[in-house]
Amino acid sequence: MSDTFTTTSRTTRFRFRIRNWELSLGVAMLGIIVIAGLFAPLLAPYPPNQIDILHSLQAPSFSHLMGTDFVGRDVFSRVLYGVRIDVFVVALITYAGLVIGVIIGTVAGYFGGWLDAIIGRVTDTVVSFPFIVLVLAVVAIVGPGLKGVAIGIVLVGWALYSRLARSEMLAMREQPFMLATRALGYSTPRAIFRHALPNLVRSSLVYSTVDVVVNMLVLAGMSYLGLGQQAPGADLGSIIASGQGYLLTAWWITTIPGTVLVLFGIGVSMIGDGLTRGELSMATV
Amino acid sequence: MSDILLRIENLRISFGKDDRRVAAVNGVSLEVGSGEVVGLVGESGSGKSLTCRSVIRLLPPGGEMTANRVLFEGVDVQSLDRDALRAHRAHNVGMIFQDPFSCLDPTKRIGEQIAETLRVNVGLDREAAKVQALSLLEDVGISSPERRYLAYPHELSGGMRQRVMIAIAVATKPKLLIADEATTALDVTTQAQILDLIVRLRREIGMSVLLVSHDFGVIAQVCDRVAVMYGGYVVEFGPVADICNRPQHPYTRALLDSIPTIESAGQRIRRDGIPGQPPSLGEIEQGCPFVNRCSYASDACRTLELSMREVGPGHTSACPVTIGSGS
Repeated sequence: MSDTFTTTSRTTRFRFRIRNWELSLGVAMLGIIVIAGLFAPLLAPYPPNQIDILHSLQAPSFSHLMGTDFVGRDVFSRVLYGVRIDVFVVALITYAGLVIGVIIGTVAGYFGGWLDAIIGRVTDTVVSFPFIVLVLAVVAIVGPGLKGVAIGIVLVGWALYSRLARSEMLAMREQPFMLATRALGYSTPRAIFRHALPNLVRSSLVYSTVDVVVNMLVLAGMSYLGLGQQAPGADLGSIIASGQGYLLTAWWITTIPGTVLVLFGIGVSMIGDGLTRGELSMATV
Repeated sequence: MSDILLRIENLRISFGKDDRRVAAVNGVSLEVGSGEVVGLVGESGSGKSLTCRSVIRLLPPGGEMTANRVLFEGVDVQSLDRDALRAHRAHNVGMIFQDPFSCLDPTKRIGEQIAETLRVNVGLDREAAKVQALSLLEDVGISSPERRYLAYPHELSGGMRQRVMIAIAVATKPKLLIADEATTALDVTTQAQILDLIVRLRREIGMSVLLVSHDFGVIAQVCDRVAVMYGGYVVEFGPVADICNRPQHPYTRALLDSIPTIESAGQRIRRDGIPGQPPSLGEIEQGCPFVNRCSYASDACRTLELSMREVGPGHTSACPVTIGSGS
């Protein structure tokens, strides 16, 4: 199996060919989930919150691909909308955390000294707290809902990126090309953001593939506990929670969104694995 | 030389705090005329690079410099404030470093790196910068510049990268180009090409060059004057032909003697080199730094106050001993 990514510029052409079944499979899995979420309004056969009490708790069939829940809502439609909101929120909060963390860490690493010491202690404090507990505390302040969970995860999530970027910056700072930017009389912000940052963001991007999965689980977990998405809104965690009482009689309500969650996690992890393990051959054509 | 572009007087650079302070450069004086190529030669740790970097006040962390004067076009570099220093680095002095493999930003196309200098330091707009960058690539002898403009540093050979570095350094048409071991990491053929390029650009732009090397062959090839450095001191300074033919300082003499000649090729001649090790930082308290390795040394050398004395027209040496001519 091979995926070929080709970027063409006016006169040179670079071809990145990654031969790696893990990456291919991961891209396929994640791709299907993301596209399903993206086109949820087109794909969903029923409105996600449409109650049809006469057809409640129906097993999967052709009219209801994933069955119906206890008030007759179509689980397939709800999963599509749930994926839509979850993937969007997770991408937003993970990469918001990445951007904030990388900028803070880069600045700390470049300047060092007391600034680095202060930022370092703040990151240590954030990282040493249990993740869930901190998110819960933020939800308690902001109030239940996806917004509260999202703010909580970003407030915690930036810290690891900050550490990562800081340590990369410490090494980057000694690179001759950073010295060259100073010899050329470039400003410090230019040296940091135009030259150092593009070189050190890579490790953070790799780590973000792990982080996306963690954040997805936290988000779904919070919704499951009733702290995230509020009824009647659909989100993978809240759908799972809604089927909990019918686990023995209507397995599909909990099992199917749970499986989607697992597949999302596996897909993202495989992409991360594939990217790090696969041989990346690059040829100038 | 009528016009003096750069004059360094009694430059000292030291590292460390208070009583643990060690001097890396001890009272170096040097001058570069406009349009002149001055060489700095010496072994590792002799303070060549630090001396160069003091011209744009770009010392490694912890380094502290003091000098009577570091005059660049009559302005003391030491007195520049932050903005003036940045402008000085941007416009007056271009610098190329030893390692062409890591001096370019690996994530940016080389053309864009040249254009960046032109936009930031010269103030050209995007289009003009690109046009100018392409002509610079051509100037430094890179074929098919349109294609190379889009290349990343890892796609180029060491010699090509050094050419790009030079293009960036001369983009602002600086008055002084500092080449800090610019050819050391390259093979001999490429080295000769790069030296030719530097000499040609000097003529075209009318800039001066401060060329650092530990290779006397390189220095002799392109320099007008040369300063020989040892242990943080300039031990001999003068016209390059004079120094090569009539080295006055025992260190210069030993250095020249250690270069194999073409006549000696294939013969079983053992070159003795210079016995011993160069002094480590902080080891020299007083007297001549070369005393322990010098075949002319006497007890007086251990306490003597080092000063340059005239040994020929424009030729000074830090050694009081007069050596017979020729080597």
